[in-house]
Amino acid sequence: MINLQYFRLSLFALAFLLIAPTVHAQKTPNQMLYAVVQKMSKVKDYSAEANIRSDIPMIRILPVNAKVYFKQKDKFKVESTGIVLLPKQGFNDFYKIISDSTTYTAVLTGQEKILGVPVQVINIIPALDTSDLILAKLWIDAANNLVLKSQLTTRTNGTMLIEYTYGAQKTYGLPDKLVFTVDVKKFKIPKGVATDLNKPAAPKPSTGKTKNGQIFINLTNYKVNAGVSDAIFKK
Amino acid sequence: MFWKSTYNEFIKIAAKPRSYIGLAAISALVSVILFAMKVDGKTYISFITSSFEQTLTFEGDILNGDLIAFIILQMLIIHVPLLVALVTGDLVSGEAAMGSLRMLATKPISRSSLLMSKFLAGGAYTLVILLWLGFMALGVGHILFGSGDLMVLNSDGLVILQNADLAWRFLGGFGVAYLALLTIATLSITLSCFSDNSIGPIVTTMAIILFFTIIGTLDVPVFDNIRPFLFTSHMIAWRSFFEEPFPIETIQQSVIILVVHIVVLIGVALFKFNKKDILS
Repeated sequence: MINLQYFRLSLFALAFLLIAPTVHAQKTPNQMLYAVVQKMSKVKDYSAEANIRSDIPMIRILPVNAKVYFKQKDKFKVESTGIVLLPKQGFNDFYKIISDSTTYTAVLTGQEKILGVPVQVINIIPALDTSDLILAKLWIDAANNLVLKSQLTTRTNGTMLIEYTYGAQKTYGLPDKLVFTVDVKKFKIPKGVATDLNKPAAPKPSTGKTKNGQIFINLTNYKVNAGVSDAIFKK
Repeated sequence: MFWKSTYNEFIKIAAKPRSYIGLAAISALVSVILFAMKVDGKTYISFITSSFEQTLTFEGDILNGDLIAFIILQMLIIHVPLLVALVTGDLVSGEAAMGSLRMLATKPISRSSLLMSKFLAGGAYTLVILLWLGFMALGVGHILFGSGDLMVLNSDGLVILQNADLAWRFLGGFGVAYLALLTIATLSITLSCFSDNSIGPIVTTMAIILFFTIIGTLDVPVFDNIRPFLFTSHMIAWRSFFEEPFPIETIQQSVIILVVHIVVLIGVALFKFNKKDILS
């Protein structure tokens, strides 16, 4: 009798062990996105030091140090003594998109691994066809409720791929490092303004071929929920 | 005697009303550009950055005194040679036309020293013109717009230079620009030795600048071998100071070409002036 009870318990334990790893996969896409939003909602405001390095064809700029500020709901500011080149979208755009679940439909499209971490790939399709967003694709580490990669395609700004690396502020869902990959084939130089006339004409790039540029942002010295004045965003 | 003669030549330049045309023209033009930039500078900047701003955004103060100074130099440095030639082209031929050259040649100074003092005075006037342009562009530009990083638009892309890296670039740029203007001054003084009227050398200098500039900008292979040796091709070499990576070899080549022009032109002028039959 004892042996039969022991056998049943063992069977149950074995079944649990087999099922447990797939529990995340069984979460619906909306549940996964909700978990990410909940995690990031813990951040009321933050400030951080940023080192911004760009590797973009046709633009030569040295790495720049800046300070970034964020305050709920969507206040964001980069402060620097010089000129800083930033992607048009990306810092917290996916958060803005997924925070209102009535504006989109989330579809789980598969599972992948990013640097050995299993991730769920979720496509976000906006409910309105007049929306600027065409499609957002998020790679979510469901175990930690973190977005490891996002790809946003908008009507106005084209496609932008962003990779996130997390460190000390993982509990808040704030990345230590962001890598933005942008499509730069649309860049054109207005001839009337560039007047280096004695310079031989540069060979024309092959048409239609996609050229990518990258912007690397390292964020350090995070101060989370320490209070950020509204005056900073008005400057 | 040489320095006294140089001083006298400079006083003569300072006493001529036409010497102030250049300064007045620079003041007026720079004032107009500064006003336009103050009123509508952001539109001008957006014209430069619009194609980039579909994907990227520029944070920070792009419209600053350094960018304004760069835009002004870019616009005016092509035209300043004409203002220089207006004065330097008259230095020898003007005296010949007035009849004072013969008297000047009776002074206890060699013809070579006399001509060199004119070259030196012409060089000093050119420096005054450039310093005034620098003051109006950089000085007034900084007062009105402040300082900041410099965004330079080249035909192959954007270069953004940090503010701390700009002082030596402007200094070097002005240095090479001065060398280019000095070449124009030397050319006009040399032409002045061949003429007995004021207008001829001034107009000829302008014609040569136009002719060489057109040859230099015509993208036709037949001129490929000539183009690098035309002084007009190196007149905007100052702009190379605002490129990254820093094109040291291009700048060196431009400096050599301009110096060779100056030396050859002074040699030709000395030869002609020493042989000149001064009848008036």
